[in-house]
Amino acid sequence: MKNIIKTIVTIGIFSTYLFSQNVFERNCLVCHEHFPASLQRMFMSYLKVYSGEITTKAALKGYLQNPDKKLSVMSDLFIDRFGIKDKTDLTEKELEEAINIYWDLYNVRNKLR
Amino acid sequence: MSALKNRDISLYLNSEKQSLRRFLTLYIFLVLALISLLSVSYYKSQEKLMFSNQRTVLSGYATEQVKRLKILHHYFPTRYKYPRDRRFKSAIYDIERVLIFSTLDNNHVNMDKVIYRAGNKIHFVKTLDDYYLGAMYLILEIDEDRAWFRDTIWNIIALGTIMLIVLAIFGLFFVRLFLKPMKNSIELLDNFIKDTTHELNTPISAILANVEMMDKSIMSEKNIKKLARINIAAKTVSHLYQDLTYLVLGHQRISKDEWIDLKKLILNRVDYFYILSKSKKISFQLDLEDSKLLIDPVKIARMIDNLISNAIKYNKRNGTIQIVLRDEYVLISDTGIGINSDKVNSIFDRYSRFTNSAGGFGIGLNIVKSIADEYNLKITVSSVLGEGTTFRVEFPKGNKK
Repeated sequence: MKNIIKTIVTIGIFSTYLFSQNVFERNCLVCHEHFPASLQRMFMSYLKVYSGEITTKAALKGYLQNPDKKLSVMSDLFIDRFGIKDKTDLTEKELEEAINIYWDLYNVRNKLR
Repeated sequence: MSALKNRDISLYLNSEKQSLRRFLTLYIFLVLALISLLSVSYYKSQEKLMFSNQRTVLSGYATEQVKRLKILHHYFPTRYKYPRDRRFKSAIYDIERVLIFSTLDNNHVNMDKVIYRAGNKIHFVKTLDDYYLGAMYLILEIDEDRAWFRDTIWNIIALGTIMLIVLAIFGLFFVRLFLKPMKNSIELLDNFIKDTTHELNTPISAILANVEMMDKSIMSEKNIKKLARINIAAKTVSHLYQDLTYLVLGHQRISKDEWIDLKKLILNRVDYFYILSKSKKISFQLDLEDSKLLIDPVKIARMIDNLISNAIKYNKRNGTIQIVLRDEYVLISDTGIGINSDKVNSIFDRYSRFTNSAGGFGIGLNIVKSIADEYNLKITVSSVLGEGTTFRVEFPKGNKK
């Protein structure tokens, strides 16, 4: 009986933790946290190639839906080491939401002084 | 002889001056247009030169700023301070032309130009190959150095003035060269009139004397009419002869001023022109009061003759001529063809005629004007096209009794 209660409490705490996270934290941050190249650096790479908000977001969405070595902004060394990610299983709406959060988090505009 | 020549020169001097004035006005206008065009072209070239010089300097600044942006891009967000330089201000815009960061004083930027003036600033636009911090456009801003502008304006004023003076002198030289044929033509006409005048006197006098002497009582009605026609023709030629004589010799004679009874003179001259006016069925309406004027009798006769002759010449058939004499003025009006308002000022010019259909040399009113000018008589002309013309001659108080 004690074990059942322990299991229920553990599942409850885990579920609460999961549902308190947004779509970006749940689906992107989990894996990228373990990469040597941070999401910030990846964002800067995208910015260096695509410049604007609309173009960057469109490029990100396109890549995540159809990952391709040719489309990647990362170096060949990085791709050789970590490979190309799998195609996203997020819905289009979830993907756009995640990208928007990503843009807002790492955007340089309001951080320059 | 030289005095006569001087008189002749002064007569056509007016028309020469007028032509000279018109030509010079047009010439100066064209020269000013040319100078303005050259000035604008010079100003534009100087402005282009200034932009070219600034562009070289600003390109160097832009290269430095791009290097700084590259470093900042690499270290962002550890470093977040936008690179500043005391020599210029700058801004960065992304590919969608959305502002990323700016230190510009004037934020009205045009990314379609490389270098341009924005108020009192100069903007230089550099398009980046790598979009560091997302920047595709780097705008550099510096204060505009107005020294080139002041120098350019001074050069335009100085060179423009010199050019205007030089071209005006050339213009004057050329206009005299071009007017020479006109001058020669007038001299030729004057000489022709002088030569023919001498040959007219004797035959005209003979015709008029004999016409007067003929006994009309024994003539048939038909012959009397024919004689009247001869009389009119002879008087017309006589009138022309007197005008020509006055023109050629009249200026030379010394004026012998005396008190002239204008009423008596006008009645006499109306009587003289009666047959001529009758031929066109023109009637006179006289409203004459006593008036006396201190003037040369030959000259005032020429003046009145010409005004009446003019009123007959340009009148309609069955028209009227009204002559009003008052102490201070005389009015001579006709019911003729009238003159265009734009030609009123030129009717006193020598060889100027109302129309080409009425004949004459166009010297009558020129004589009237020269006599009026000599005695300070003020002449005003009012005319309505198709209704008639009125000449008003005002007498100066000093010449009045």
